[in-house]
Amino acid sequence: MPKFGMVIDLQKCVGCGSCALACKAENNTRSRGNAQSYNWADFISKTEGIFPNTKHFTMPVLCNHCSEPACIKSCPTEPTAIFKTPEGFVLINEELCVGCQACQQSCPYSSPTLDDRSLNGETYSVLSFNPKRRPTQPQWADKVAMIPGCTASGVETAEKSGAAAPNLNHYESENSYAIRNQNVVEKCTFCHHRVSHGLQPACVEVCPSKARIFGDQLDAGSEIAKILAKEKTFRLQEDKGTKPNVYYINKYSPRA
Amino acid sequence: MKLTRRSFIQGSAAAATLFMVGGLHAAQPKTSAIVIRDGEPASPAKGDWVASCCQGCTAWCAIEIFVQDGRAVRVRGNQLSKANGGYVCPRGHLIPQQTYDPDRIKVPMKRTNPLKGRGVDPKFVPISWDEALDMVADKMIELRNNNEPHKLTYIRGRYSSTATQILYGALPAVFGTPNYFSHSSICAEAEKMGPGLTQGFFGYRDYDLARTQCLVIWGCDPVSSNRMVPAAIANLSGIIDRGTLITVDPRLSTSATKSHEWLPIKVGTDGALASAIAHVLLVEGLWNKAFVGDFKEGKNLFVAGKMVDEAAFAETETNGLVKWWNLELKDKTPVWAEKETLIPAAQTLRVARLMAKSAPQTAVWMGPGVGMNPRGTYASMAVHALNGLLGSIDVEGGVLQTNSVPLGAYPKYDAYLDEVTKKYGKGKKIDGRGDKDMPAMMNARPGSGVVANNIANTMLKDPDAVKVLLSSWSNFNFSCTDPARWDKALSKLPFFAHMVTNASEMTQFADVVLPSTFNATEGLSVITNNGATHGFASIQQPAGKRLWDVKQEETEVCWLLAAKLKARGFANLYDYFATEFKDPETGKTASNEMEFSEILAKISSATMWMPKEPLKGDKLSGWADFKKKGIYNTQQYTFKKGWGGKFNTATKKFEFFSETMKKGLLEHATKHQTTVDDILKVSGYLAQGDLAFVPHYEPPKRHGSLKDYPFEFVDYKSRLNREGRSANLPWYQEFKKLDDGDVSWGDVLKMNPVDAKKLGLKTGDTVKVSSMAGAIVTKLKLWEGIRPGTITKAFGQGHWAYGRIAAKDYAKAQPLGGNNNEILVDDYDRLSGSTARNGGFTGVKVQKV
Repeated sequence: MPKFGMVIDLQKCVGCGSCALACKAENNTRSRGNAQSYNWADFISKTEGIFPNTKHFTMPVLCNHCSEPACIKSCPTEPTAIFKTPEGFVLINEELCVGCQACQQSCPYSSPTLDDRSLNGETYSVLSFNPKRRPTQPQWADKVAMIPGCTASGVETAEKSGAAAPNLNHYESENSYAIRNQNVVEKCTFCHHRVSHGLQPACVEVCPSKARIFGDQLDAGSEIAKILAKEKTFRLQEDKGTKPNVYYINKYSPRA
Repeated sequence: MKLTRRSFIQGSAAAATLFMVGGLHAAQPKTSAIVIRDGEPASPAKGDWVASCCQGCTAWCAIEIFVQDGRAVRVRGNQLSKANGGYVCPRGHLIPQQTYDPDRIKVPMKRTNPLKGRGVDPKFVPISWDEALDMVADKMIELRNNNEPHKLTYIRGRYSSTATQILYGALPAVFGTPNYFSHSSICAEAEKMGPGLTQGFFGYRDYDLARTQCLVIWGCDPVSSNRMVPAAIANLSGIIDRGTLITVDPRLSTSATKSHEWLPIKVGTDGALASAIAHVLLVEGLWNKAFVGDFKEGKNLFVAGKMVDEAAFAETETNGLVKWWNLELKDKTPVWAEKETLIPAAQTLRVARLMAKSAPQTAVWMGPGVGMNPRGTYASMAVHALNGLLGSIDVEGGVLQTNSVPLGAYPKYDAYLDEVTKKYGKGKKIDGRGDKDMPAMMNARPGSGVVANNIANTMLKDPDAVKVLLSSWSNFNFSCTDPARWDKALSKLPFFAHMVTNASEMTQFADVVLPSTFNATEGLSVITNNGATHGFASIQQPAGKRLWDVKQEETEVCWLLAAKLKARGFANLYDYFATEFKDPETGKTASNEMEFSEILAKISSATMWMPKEPLKGDKLSGWADFKKKGIYNTQQYTFKKGWGGKFNTATKKFEFFSETMKKGLLEHATKHQTTVDDILKVSGYLAQGDLAFVPHYEPPKRHGSLKDYPFEFVDYKSRLNREGRSANLPWYQEFKKLDDGDVSWGDVLKMNPVDAKKLGLKTGDTVKVSSMAGAIVTKLKLWEGIRPGTITKAFGQGHWAYGRIAAKDYAKAQPLGGNNNEILVDDYDRLSGSTARNGGFTGVKVQKV
């Protein structure tokens, strides 16, 4: 049985955003709203030091697919809507999710609601909630044309494209659907729909600096296992006891 | 590493069984508190990867687009591309959103409000292509009938490197106007002057980053923007590991954060730092002897402050080293430079030694920050000359020229030029190139460089100069400095047809709008470029079905417009297209715009998939193979191309003393019956005499006094800019924070806390930034990534049109944030014709609103 995990090499990462954009494209995540980011992959950043001894750090963040996930422990449904698979994916079963948002409250990494600080890279969310009675793809529910008769609207663009969202990446999943429903929480699946068919997660596949390494931590021959054995790694908030499966290596700036 | 499906299935045999059954299965108790259970069935999206070309910046990366049910869904680098290694930067990932931007123009439209101006609603109404092209053709025929075809002007923005020869080449030539202009000089052209005037290469350099030991990133941030971004991202960490990364930039860019040495230079003093580094390399005997040569007696005579006898030094691949020393370098010590650059002398010394240590595998990667200012040619020369001293020119790990890509040429149009064309087609261009104070000597030929931003000035001075303007994929009312000039000029213009995807700022002044295909996913052409030691030709082809009634501007529209002109009695253009352009395989001519478009792409590329002689690059079996693979890669760059007296300069050597420049300037001075000194003076340079022909430092020209406008301003490009076209995308806004120090869904002016304290300002304040050119209003952010006295803001936001996300209020022409160009003064590096936008040439002040 594999145990999937990810290593992010902060020296290789240049904070370009390709991973997060590819994630949005792969998983059809909507744009920010309802104090939620819907960014399954995101970044935190900070600037340290006094000029000219200044460094600016960017760190990619995502669901840690913890071995002891706080989110599952808080999920009230039976069986739990948010669950862990034998291979280490922490997934949400949309049919079981009752939209209580307990997982958002319990995850030590995720801010349940986001304010302006998240626009600055100070906070982020792992879990995003799709409220009741609101479109889950609002961009494509907008009927207004900027120049009537001359430019399109969101609705018209989607209709013409023949899909609920024109750039819909229509993958199949009985866990979280390609477009989520109302009243459910959504999050990174480690691209379960891809990984279960031998592909890398979208964020890993597109990284132009190959900063993300994904694979089976138990397979001694895998790149990730070799890194975990050899390199000094750290995980976010290890003191919380969640045992994340997303690891970081190296320093963003050599001057740090 | 690719995960094997087998390993996964093996690992979860139970899951495989359950997948077939489907539905939920009982949770299995585990030892921990967490219940473990199998995931439900899931599988990736089904579709095809279609090859195309990004064109989100000037790297023109070959890409692939994942197409599902006729929809462009996702993007990756072309897996066969040697320039980008199969990766794109974030720009590529924005392509689907740009394709399906709900604010795209879906049908031709015409203006119904004759009043024109910023904030004036054009009252566009939809019309048919037939009506739209009738309008354009009528106006063009009127010019021909009145014997003033030269009053047709065409300005191109983003273009295809092959198809452009129709709209930018054949159309003006056959119609009879000399007034066709590229946008290039508003972007980065001045940086070409350094390599151009020293080694005869007026182009953007390529780099062999995989073997570079010391990379000096100067005035740009190649992991964010400006040329071969994926290759820069891929190679940066390796250079950090094995060598030295150095960044010279007034602001803390990503490259600066990643560097061992960050030199936050005072804006506009790059030439001083370059001269000081050169000084150190010479006095310490650290120059590359193989490239530059040595003293005949072996003893280093470069001693600070001392003249050297030219005869004492024997140069190998270079020309004029000692002249350069005597004219410029001998007194340019690091201590001298510190006063200009504010870089501690010790750091300059240390960096010079680090650069020498890895030479010739030291590459100085110069970007537009160095040269795009009123005296930028000399700064560009000074910085590039370091590559010469280090022997990095054309060597492994160094700074390279580019490979030529064997494109097919279009048929000649000479037989289709009539008397009117011949009479008016070669007249003086309206951009002022070649005027006494505008040498614009790109390629060392005075009067040959485009001065795009100056067209508005001509139009304002002579409202009769342009009667019909055609323009494609351009937005000069946003992208040019002091764009209010363009607002005024276009307000008075009798007729303007704009070919664009979105109702941009410039579109607000159009009489008719011809909606363009979004070419990365909908166009068809062949695009060439270089990167990572290989040249390439990438196809750009439709990856999804077109949703709207749009046409490709450089091919389809040209054909249809030519047909309209023929119907009005001017048949030459149509006859040229319909007679001369033949499918290279079948010999058939085109009978409609789509066939024409395909024939153009085939002619451009047949030389690579149907070569007469075997090529050294990729082997392609035919048109279908090229379309499928999407790319032709050339063989690797031939190193030391210019060594052995083969540089394209007047002396055939790498010129520290530029005889090439001397020749060009003398030619220009002779034409204007004056001296080179006079030319330089009226063009705003300080050098006189022989100093004008060597790389040297000129203190920055500054518009606005230090008293009234105390801050220096640094403009740079957002890493998410797909040129000026992506600000209307939610993903652009969402990840704007990835521009170091920036804030998502907003636009911030960044200021050092020391300055903010003096002014009583804090993060989040709304501030007005003013210069002699204009003012913008935006939010303030305090940031330690910029030196006190200097403020900085990314270029990208500040749209007052384009779309409902880019603009705060499209209907009311309210911008979201501020457009840097509004505060940048209209000025030029006149030796190149480039628009000034960097180098602290505009003083600004900041006030709380």
